[in-house]
Amino acid sequence: MHTKIQIRLNGKMQTLTVPPFRLLLDLLRDEIGLTGTKEGCGTGDCGACTVLLNGKPVNSCLVLSGELEGADIVTIEGLKIGPYLHPVQQAFVQEGGAQCGYCTPGILMMTKALLDENINPTEEEIRFALSGNLCRCTGYAKIIQAVQTAAAELRRSYEEFPSSQRRGGCATNKMPRSH
Amino acid sequence: MEELAVVGKPVTRVDAEEKVTGQTVYGYDLVLPNMLYGKALFSTRPHAIIKRINTERAKNYPGVQAVITGADAPWIHGETIKDTPFLAQGKVRYVGEPVAAVAAVDEDTAQAAVALIEVEYEDLPAYFSPEEASKPGARAIHEDYPEYHKADFIVTSPLPNVCEHFKLRTGDVEQGFRKSDLILEQSFRVPAIQHAAMEPHSAHAMVDDSGKLTVWVPNDAPFRVRTETAEALGLPPEKIRYINPYQGGGFGSKGGLKVERIAIALAYHTKGLPVRVKFNRQETFVSTSTRHGAIVRIKSGVKSDGELVAREITIYWDAGAYSEKSPTVCIRGSLPSPGPYRIPQVKVDGYAVYTNKPVAGAFRGYGIPQAAWACEQHMDDLAKRLRMDPLEFRLKNIFVDGDVAYWGEQLHNVGLKETLLKATEGIGWGKTEKLDPKGFKIGKGFACIAKPTRTPTTSNASVLVDSQGKVTILAGTVEIGQGCSTMLSQVAAEELGIPIENTRMHPLDTDVIPFDSSTTSSRSTFHMGNAVRHAAIHAREQLAEIASGILEAPQEELRFSDGKIFLDNDPQHALTIGEVIRRQLGPDGVVRGNGSYTYELGKDVDPQTGHSDHASAFYMYATQAAEVAVDEETGRVRLLRVVAAHDVGKAINPLNCVAQVEGGLAMGIGAALHEELVVDDHGRVRNSSFLDYHLVTSLDMPEMKTIIVECPTPDGPYGAKGLGEPGLAPTPAAIGNAVANALGIRIYDLPLTPERVYWAIQAATD
Ligand code: FES
Ligand code: FES
Repeated sequence: MHTKIQIRLNGKMQTLTVPPFRLLLDLLRDEIGLTGTKEGCGTGDCGACTVLLNGKPVNSCLVLSGELEGADIVTIEGLKIGPYLHPVQQAFVQEGGAQCGYCTPGILMMTKALLDENINPTEEEIRFALSGNLCRCTGYAKIIQAVQTAAAELRRSYEEFPSSQRRGGCATNKMPRSH
Repeated sequence: MEELAVVGKPVTRVDAEEKVTGQTVYGYDLVLPNMLYGKALFSTRPHAIIKRINTERAKNYPGVQAVITGADAPWIHGETIKDTPFLAQGKVRYVGEPVAAVAAVDEDTAQAAVALIEVEYEDLPAYFSPEEASKPGARAIHEDYPEYHKADFIVTSPLPNVCEHFKLRTGDVEQGFRKSDLILEQSFRVPAIQHAAMEPHSAHAMVDDSGKLTVWVPNDAPFRVRTETAEALGLPPEKIRYINPYQGGGFGSKGGLKVERIAIALAYHTKGLPVRVKFNRQETFVSTSTRHGAIVRIKSGVKSDGELVAREITIYWDAGAYSEKSPTVCIRGSLPSPGPYRIPQVKVDGYAVYTNKPVAGAFRGYGIPQAAWACEQHMDDLAKRLRMDPLEFRLKNIFVDGDVAYWGEQLHNVGLKETLLKATEGIGWGKTEKLDPKGFKIGKGFACIAKPTRTPTTSNASVLVDSQGKVTILAGTVEIGQGCSTMLSQVAAEELGIPIENTRMHPLDTDVIPFDSSTTSSRSTFHMGNAVRHAAIHAREQLAEIASGILEAPQEELRFSDGKIFLDNDPQHALTIGEVIRRQLGPDGVVRGNGSYTYELGKDVDPQTGHSDHASAFYMYATQAAEVAVDEETGRVRLLRVVAAHDVGKAINPLNCVAQVEGGLAMGIGAALHEELVVDDHGRVRNSSFLDYHLVTSLDMPEMKTIIVECPTPDGPYGAKGLGEPGLAPTPAAIGNAVANALGIRIYDLPLTPERVYWAIQAATD
């Protein structure tokens, strides 16, 4: 059984015929071939598969294709601004926020969602926002630093070009975690 | 020494941009044309004879291309003991052991077919503790162990289920104890934990018409696994090719033949089509490998002035069902287990013991964290009984330059004392800054380690310089996230005087890249750093020879800088490196430099005494300190601060050195406070998901301070040692000492969960 859906993926309209139970994660990786979105667990516990769905961060391993009609989806492949790295990407390069890099796409998308909502987050707020994104390599210090650097850069550029700011809600299917 | 241009600088990672844009292709992302999808059936019994397997229904399932069992893949492998079947041969030894496998047109079909395979078992008694399994009279988990093919250095034991017995004998401990003023004997436990690299395990394999086997897998030692595969299949190594896609973290788990062997076994039954086998997270937790659980018994004798006289240690390493890396973990983890101290009389017995549990293998730190958990807490308790400050007690006994260690090797370039002083200073040792807040107890602690590296080993490298002055590095070191690509690019750029942007790493492929022992044991910066350095120097010499002809100047007076070659006093007449190559070798010329490095003095330890006068190419020294607040009511340990001081010899990239330590600390903190792979009394892992197995999150990390100490070793490139592993090794012991300092109670078992701490507090107040 297949169903036809129309989605906007990284700014481009696409019509797809997919089984409705196909996970968004598998749709992206296996059917469309965008492997930048990572699978770390497939059960909603690691955040590696985070994408933006209608502007909100979701674990794409928990979203079914059948729910996607008319959806606007942004993945790591859609983060660059033209040929330029997004300030969030630039900050992760500069601060050494990626080691093996496997958690990085998910963390970048989560960071994008956070900064879309709150351009001046406290360290506490950053740690809270990223608490559903597991990283086994970095100890998070350089990730937090990168988010702060990106936020500062975005604040600077919004002051220069106020019209570039974009706001959006930040409801999410992701719960903060701590042990 | 001339000033360094690129080495020693906090260069940003050369692989950062592709990683932040999602372009990096990891093993888990790889797609091959016409590939089939493989899935395995895993044992549900911890120890059982396979009476019957029925694959008929699976074979008839539409879309299935192959269904195989042990009979179709009758191969046995093992790095040091050949004890591991590709698929179970007649019996299973742990829950999670691969028993059969299916290749099908897609993953869902493969999974559905696996569910149709029926296996009938006859249960055997199972052992879940190394102490039980090695008791005289215990039933052998490997009946054929005596006949297994073993590496020369394996020492067997009359005790059952012991796959390696490490012995260290120095002086006479009994006499040492008799001469001591104080004797303390304790026992500590460390549970198994899992690597939990964010990328789960996967492998792709294909056998072509000529019989050549190609395996695509992010393995941390492509040449070693090629050898292991060749020995198992009875093929010459040149008939096997390993190609390494990017690795999303490994920490020791992605080595040897794990998911690889299922893909390989299937590839022999798919008529030339490639097969992909992906483990999901649960399979990764259970059926790849774990860190060794360990039981450490330690007994020491000291003089009343704090001089260590004798130490006796017995360690049981829980190997799980197969030997994997257990023998070498047992050797290299037990050897320095008495700690980085001068002790005249030492006796160590390390036993790696088979049990019916998931297979234990290499894990960042290779036995040192388990030993340090025992030794460093024992040191604090000795100090307490001596009424000495733990820092003073350590300073009295700690390794310093020129000491002969208890394994018979004279030590040089020992930066340990500096790490000890800096870490304790950083945490404010001896100072109380805060009064205990209501309901909390504040405490500080620290721990030291020395870690050897795998020795002797070899690295080779080549450096290709093209007619545009661009440099390609061929090196068999695997980028597992540690930043080797950046480090090696810095080394090549330094020696050739080129901007780092002009370097690139060649993808890793055993058909193309020269041999390297492994990306393990923190050995790459030292060994491959040397090999790439030699290769770059070799290329530079060839370029200098050509340039000296063009510039009519002696080679020794030529300088290499910013991609150009020139005479010191005549920078206007500089030639670019590309120009030099084009003038001599034409527009498409290439200069190739080759380098090779082996630590020649390195010698395995003597199997009877544990002695070696060069057991390790270098030693890594570290001290970490922690400050904690313990909630007396709930037992929760809150980490306030950690300070980590590490002797790296020379920081080739200070930014990445700090990053390695911070990542190590996170793992060490996880092991200290949350992590334990729980196996129930049916041999089943109870927490094989990230929901149940608690990795540290961004909310759990305390303030971290990393101090880089540089005590150079003349053999290392620019003085560098290694750094990958020590970041997590002393962490749990430092936290354990801080908790004991806060509560006045010693807790002997990891992890320090609220429950465990709570009950320890209750027991002490009763
Ligand atoms: S893969 Fe979706 S949360 Fe882990
Ligand atoms: S960088 Fe490796 S998991 Fe985060």
